[in-house]
Amino acid sequence: MRKTWSMGVLMALALGFGMAQPANLKACFIYVGPIGDVGWTYAHDEGRRAAEKAIPGLTTQYVESVKPADTLATVDRLVAGGCNVIFTTSFDFMDQTLEAAKKHPNVIFAHASGFKRAPNMLTYMADFYQIYYLNGLMAGALTKSGKVGYVAAFPIPELKRHISAFALGVRAVNPRATVNVKWINAWYSPVKAREAAEALMAEGNDILAFTEDTPTVIQTAARRRVPSFSHYNSMYKYAPDYVVSGQLVDWSVIYIDILKKVQNGTYTPKNLQNVDYWWLAREKAVMLGAQVGMPINPKFEAALKKATMTVNGKKVSVYNRVMELYKDIQSPNPKWDPFTGPIRDRNGVLRVPAGRKMTVKELNEMQWVAPGVVGPVPDEPK
Amino acid sequence: MEEIANALARALSFGTPLLIACLGAILNERAGVVNLGVEGMMALGALAGFAVAYGSAGDGNLGLAVLAAMLAGALAAMLHGFVTITLQANQFVSGLALSMVGLGTAGLLGKRFEGLPLFNQPPEWPFTLGAIMLAVLLSFVFYATRLGLSLRSVGENPAAADLLGLNVPALRYAAVAAGGALAGLAGAYLSLVYRPSWTDGMTAGLGWIAVSLVIFVGWSPLRAVFGAVFFGLLYYLQFRLQGQAAIPTEVFASLPYLLVILVLALSGLRGQQGNAPEALGKPYRRGER
Repeated sequence: MRKTWSMGVLMALALGFGMAQPANLKACFIYVGPIGDVGWTYAHDEGRRAAEKAIPGLTTQYVESVKPADTLATVDRLVAGGCNVIFTTSFDFMDQTLEAAKKHPNVIFAHASGFKRAPNMLTYMADFYQIYYLNGLMAGALTKSGKVGYVAAFPIPELKRHISAFALGVRAVNPRATVNVKWINAWYSPVKAREAAEALMAEGNDILAFTEDTPTVIQTAARRRVPSFSHYNSMYKYAPDYVVSGQLVDWSVIYIDILKKVQNGTYTPKNLQNVDYWWLAREKAVMLGAQVGMPINPKFEAALKKATMTVNGKKVSVYNRVMELYKDIQSPNPKWDPFTGPIRDRNGVLRVPAGRKMTVKELNEMQWVAPGVVGPVPDEPK
Repeated sequence: MEEIANALARALSFGTPLLIACLGAILNERAGVVNLGVEGMMALGALAGFAVAYGSAGDGNLGLAVLAAMLAGALAAMLHGFVTITLQANQFVSGLALSMVGLGTAGLLGKRFEGLPLFNQPPEWPFTLGAIMLAVLLSFVFYATRLGLSLRSVGENPAAADLLGLNVPALRYAAVAAGGALAGLAGAYLSLVYRPSWTDGMTAGLGWIAVSLVIFVGWSPLRAVFGAVFFGLLYYLQFRLQGQAAIPTEVFASLPYLLVILVLALSGLRGQQGNAPEALGKPYRRGER
């Protein structure tokens, strides 16, 4: 009894002194690309603007096109400008964000897509892997050549996870189809994305998907009447006849949650060591769609309803399967997950035993790729 | 066969902005003025072109857009001209500054156009064909006309040209402005045709490849055609051959720069500066030797 009481006093003291609520909550965002990329950075900025509207008393600031090597210097500048929560929104900012967190122990840091944390640094991610599987189903149903092209930024776990989920979906519909990957080694390079997409089409890929921060692949594919999938934002407007579906993100739900918890004192610069947001469709952080509110482009509905696949020995239309799974992953307790064993990698090594699902940690450290993925994959375990 | 045709098509498509910008750079370098600001002028041209083509709601005039891009490039180049020809400042420093100022200004002014799709997209081939015809025309002008002879003599020996009664500053200004207009046009090709939209940094270093291409082709407009196609082919092959070639495809990406170094080294061994015009990079001051 006495112990609880003294603990209570201690906590009250701690709340009163060490972690006095910031009177002015100023959240600052460090972006890796230009806001106008219509991809990753644009999506984060939409989240920032939504958070500013949703939370009274919040002011925000951002710095765009920051080189990873300049992260620490940028943080210093922002802290001097009065920022008390700093979001660093690229994997490559990870190490310098950690360094900055040590240097500024009273500032709260939040790093997107990484795995290093500190008492004043949390991590967060809105992940697409489930949505990628659904897009894979559609790509598998729509490809005539059995070759689906994929323009990929960097061979890191995030992309391997997404490409693998996509390939698992493609193969669930068309077991002989391949997902052909071209790496461009850049997050933001319209020129490289264009030439990589052209190369994929020259090799006979008749559906394209991508991870890169611009709508270049969609524009390039549409010129050759090749269907493609939107990435990160509503890219439907760039080719209304050719964008089948895609993966969309809403960072605002995460930003609002984090900032509200900072504002009401739940999050302090001392208790974030184990805070990791891994938000999916269930939390409404990600969506399926060619644009918000359009899970599947009506132009492709008929073809997807006609295409069939076998699920547990029964024939179902691909359209229904996509919708069924999409409903499941949005429910409070999803039953289905694309990385449910048994899953072997493309070299035949059993990676997920039967009946088990991959953990978040495993997904974050994934270096192998699923069967059907064609092309060189750096750091792939043999 | 289809594979070769396709690779050639890609080489031409990617090579077109390189060729246009390279021809512009050859033009002003032949007159003795180096302009390293190609990347910046391209960015300004890309923005001006896109802004006019977009109009109020994606309904702008494409012809006017191309003109606007060339005008933007020419105006930026005139700044370089004023600093280097009239004020006789260091051409390399001024050019570098122009490349940064151009990129920055375009990024700043272009904010409101970022992410907008362009609906009326012009085809690529007229630009490609136009660029090749321009190379032939430039070659003809350089070697078969009085104007070309004047331009070249201003670049080789401005003092002698001055003695012959040629207006050195005027010729240099004209060449610099024309070079800027072509860099702007190359930018417009990127934002209107190659990838029809505007984003900050969309020139992606092509301006620098164009600058190195000038050295690679030895200041010859005709050779520039083949150089641009060759560089375009290398760029495409780094993706086409990924995972299929014995050598890493990054080699293809770095080849243009390695080749330029090689060309410079070879001409150095032969005791000449490539085919560089004699007075390249030197401000001309009357009465000084």
